[in-house]
Amino acid sequence: MDRRKFIQQSTAAASLTAIGGLTFPSFTTKKKKHITILHTNDTHSHLEPFDASHYKYANKGGVARRATLVENIRKENPNTLLFDAGDIFQGTPYFNYFGGELEFKLMSMLKYDLATLGNHDFDNSIDGFYKQLPNAKFNFVSANYDFKNTILDTHVKPYQIFIKDGIKIGVFGLGIKLEGLVQPKLYKETNYLDPIEISQDMSRILKEDEKCDLVICLSHLGYHYNNNPNMISDLNLAKATKYIDLIIGGHTHTFLPKPTLVKNSIDKNMLVNQVGCYGINVGRVDFYFDKENNTVSQGNTILV
Amino acid sequence: MFTTFKNIVFLFCFSILLFSCKEDTYVVSKVTTKTLPVDATITSANSITKTIAPYKEKMIKEINTVLSYAPKDLTRTDGKLESSLGNLLADLTFKRANPIFKKQTGKNIDFSMFNFGGIRAGIPAGSVRNKNAFELMPFENILVVVELSGQKIAALIAYLIKSNTAHPISKNMELTITKNGYQLYINNKKFDSNKSYFVLTSDYLQSGGDNMTFFKNPIQRVSLEYKMRDAIVDYFKSVDTLRSRLDQRFKRN
Repeated sequence: MDRRKFIQQSTAAASLTAIGGLTFPSFTTKKKKHITILHTNDTHSHLEPFDASHYKYANKGGVARRATLVENIRKENPNTLLFDAGDIFQGTPYFNYFGGELEFKLMSMLKYDLATLGNHDFDNSIDGFYKQLPNAKFNFVSANYDFKNTILDTHVKPYQIFIKDGIKIGVFGLGIKLEGLVQPKLYKETNYLDPIEISQDMSRILKEDEKCDLVICLSHLGYHYNNNPNMISDLNLAKATKYIDLIIGGHTHTFLPKPTLVKNSIDKNMLVNQVGCYGINVGRVDFYFDKENNTVSQGNTILV
Repeated sequence: MFTTFKNIVFLFCFSILLFSCKEDTYVVSKVTTKTLPVDATITSANSITKTIAPYKEKMIKEINTVLSYAPKDLTRTDGKLESSLGNLLADLTFKRANPIFKKQTGKNIDFSMFNFGGIRAGIPAGSVRNKNAFELMPFENILVVVELSGQKIAALIAYLIKSNTAHPISKNMELTITKNGYQLYINNKKFDSNKSYFVLTSDYLQSGGDNMTFFKNPIQRVSLEYKMRDAIVDYFKSVDTLRSRLDQRFKRN
C-alpha cells in the first residue's frame, strides 16, 4: 500500500479498514510528485465557440473543445484538478433561457473539482443559484461570503481539501463586495467579510492546522485596479498574506500573458493568474514536489 | 471493551500519522505555467456537443420568436443629435417605466436619458424578434429614476452639448443649441433651474458610467427593479409596428 495513500485514509477516517495497511509500508515511494492545476474564470455562459465573424474572438472558446483539452491533460497526469473562479453565469441567451442549468451540467461533465461565486452568479438571485446547484456535481467555496442567513447556508463551504497522490491541497474561495455591484434583492442577506482578514485566517488554517502542502485561493476580487490601486485585488491580497501558493483570479477579465510572480508578506514568491474570459483560455500550473530533505536549495523554482 | 480497542487503534494510527508526516513532508521544488488557448485546433468532445444540442434548438426557437414589426431600419446613426433608434429606446422605456414610478411615488418622470454607446445594435426592417432585443440591450441594466436639482440638469445639458452625440433622450425634452447657449423645454415648460426633475436612466449610467457624473449623488434615487431589456421586450410585444422618427427634440439652430 502506498504510504501517502495510507496517511490519507487515516486522516479521512482512521477506520478499522486502515489496519490492513499496518504492515509497515516500505520507504521506497517515488520521491517526486506532480500536481496539475487547470483553471478558468468568467466563462459567462459562453458554451459554444464564438462565431467565425466575431470582431475579437472569432472561432475561439467552446466548452466541447475545453472538454477535450482537459481530458487529454487528465490522461497525461491523473493528479489534475480543475477549478473555476466565478462568473459562470450571464453573457449568452443560454443563461437567460435556462438559468445556468446547462452551464453547471457541462462543467460537471468536464469534472470540475471546485468553483467560487462571482457577482454575476447572483444575477438570478441567490435563489436562482441555489435552484441550479443540483446540476453541479462539484462544490462551491467562499470564505468571505457569510451565507448564514441565506438559502445557501451550509451549501457553500469556506474551503475544500483535496488529496492527490498524497499531496494535500487546500482551496478556499473569495468573492467581491456585492454592494453597488449587485442589487441587494438578489444577494439578500449575504454578508461580505474582509478578504484580507479572512485570507490570513484561511491560509493559516490550511497550512498550520490542516497541514496542506499546497494552498490555493479561488478569487473573484479582480486582478488589480489601476484607477483605484489600493482597492482590494488579487495583487494586493497576495502581498498581504502568506502561505498562499497560487491565486486563481477572475472578475476583471484580465488576459495575463503569463502568471504574475508576487512576493508575499514574508517575501516568498507566489503566483497570481487569470485567463481572460469566455473560456477562451484555460490556465495551467504544474507543481512538482520533492521530499523536504531532497530539495537542493532553500527556495523553489517558479518558471513563468 | 470495543471502545478501548478502537481507541488503541486510533492511537496507533495517529502515532503512525505523526511519524509519517515528519518523515514525508513534501515541498514544492518547481512550478511551471502555461496558458492554453481553446481554439479550432482542438477537436470538440461529442458528448458535450450532444448535450448542448437540445438546449440550443429550444433557445433558437425562443430567440427567433417574432414580437413586432419594423417598417424601416432603426439605427442610432440616422441623425446628428438624435436617432430613430435612440428616440424609440428613450420613449419606450419612459412609457413602460412611468406607470411603475407613479405607482411607487405618486409622481411622474420628467424625461429619460441614456447613452449612445449603450445602443449595441440596430433593428433591421422586417420582423422584430426576441434576439433583436438581446442584441440591442445585451446588458442586465436596470431602470432607475433620479431626482436631480436644476443645477445637475444644467450639467446634464452641458454634457449633451459638449459630447455633440445622439445620446437617447425622450420626447419630453426639447433642446436647442443656440448661438449664445441653449433653449430647453421639459414637458412644454421652460426649464426652471430652481426646480428639481425626475430623470429615468439605467443603474449603469446613474453610477457614473460614460462619465455621466451628474447622475451621481441625486436628491433621491428610486430603483424600479425593472431590467431595461425586459422593458424593451414588453414594449415590442405590446405594439404591432415599431414607429419612430426624428422629431428635432435635440437640435442645433
